[in-house]
Amino acid sequence: MARRKQRAVEEEGDPEMNMSSMMDACFLLLIYFIVATSLVSEKRLSVSLPGSSSGSGTPPPLEPGRIKVEASGAIYWNGEMPMGGAMNPTLDPRTPEYREERELRELVEALKNLAEAAKAADTNPIVMVEGAAATPHQRIVDVMAALSEAGINTVGLNTAAQE
Amino acid sequence: MAKKRREQEETKAELNMSSMMDACFLLIIFFVVNASQITVAKDPCVKMPNAVTCSEMKDANGCVVVNVFPDAEKMDARTASKFGEMYRPGVVWSVSDGAKTIGYSAEQTQDLTDFITKQVEMWKAKNLDPAQIRLYVRGDKDAPWERSATAIRCAAAAGLSNIVFGTLPAKG
Repeated sequence: MARRKQRAVEEEGDPEMNMSSMMDACFLLLIYFIVATSLVSEKRLSVSLPGSSSGSGTPPPLEPGRIKVEASGAIYWNGEMPMGGAMNPTLDPRTPEYREERELRELVEALKNLAEAAKAADTNPIVMVEGAAATPHQRIVDVMAALSEAGINTVGLNTAAQE
Repeated sequence: MAKKRREQEETKAELNMSSMMDACFLLIIFFVVNASQITVAKDPCVKMPNAVTCSEMKDANGCVVVNVFPDAEKMDARTASKFGEMYRPGVVWSVSDGAKTIGYSAEQTQDLTDFITKQVEMWKAKNLDPAQIRLYVRGDKDAPWERSATAIRCAAAAGLSNIVFGTLPAKG
């Protein structure tokens, strides 16, 4: 009789919490954040428009570089120097060819040379990008990525007159 | 009798959940921290361009987001139907003020400028450093450059000179 009473007291003194619903909620939250994190993978390319930081009207000591982007996606550096061919819209984004099209190695080299010349002249390099009105946004982003790789972030953006 | 009770007790197996809960909470904290890095408004109708060189978006504070759309014929069927549900025909830019999404056509450049001006003033009222206020261009990869350039011109008219292009890292 006394032993049964003691067991009852022991059982009452060992409360248990049912964790299963909490685990359900926990797993739901976990799945939500895993999915949300994988969706939030946007990156950025930052540029500043020229003439915004310094208010002086004096011309820059170094001539700005000029990049012209045609509607086909062809890119020209300082006039007629070709730096990238027309875009191929049929390329699969998962292929190395697509990545190769995005990398504008010659343009990056030219921009790095400009950045070095600007450093030697103790000034900020400025590049003017002139895209044709119908140029796909993707091609302008390719140019911005090349500018970012060369460490140039003062960029003038313009739209070419309709041809 | 006692033997029977002992057998019943033995068959009642229990799993200690506490360590699993610990691991679960740690994972949740990790993903919460990662997910809160960007909270900019995203439009599902925009197919983002890819870039080989791009950096992490550390803070979404001060971002004035403008989505730039391509022509309807450049969208795939699913995106086009979603676009048709969300916007009226002719919309080329969309913005969100937190409560609602507004679509602007190519002729509504003044309305877009006014919206950006209001957003800039809102961020300034929150005592944000003006250098941190920037235009976040979420341009579709097939959108014509003219539309993105016009949005940038509107931002410049509203006093914004810092531009951020939204991209995805290039694969391959």
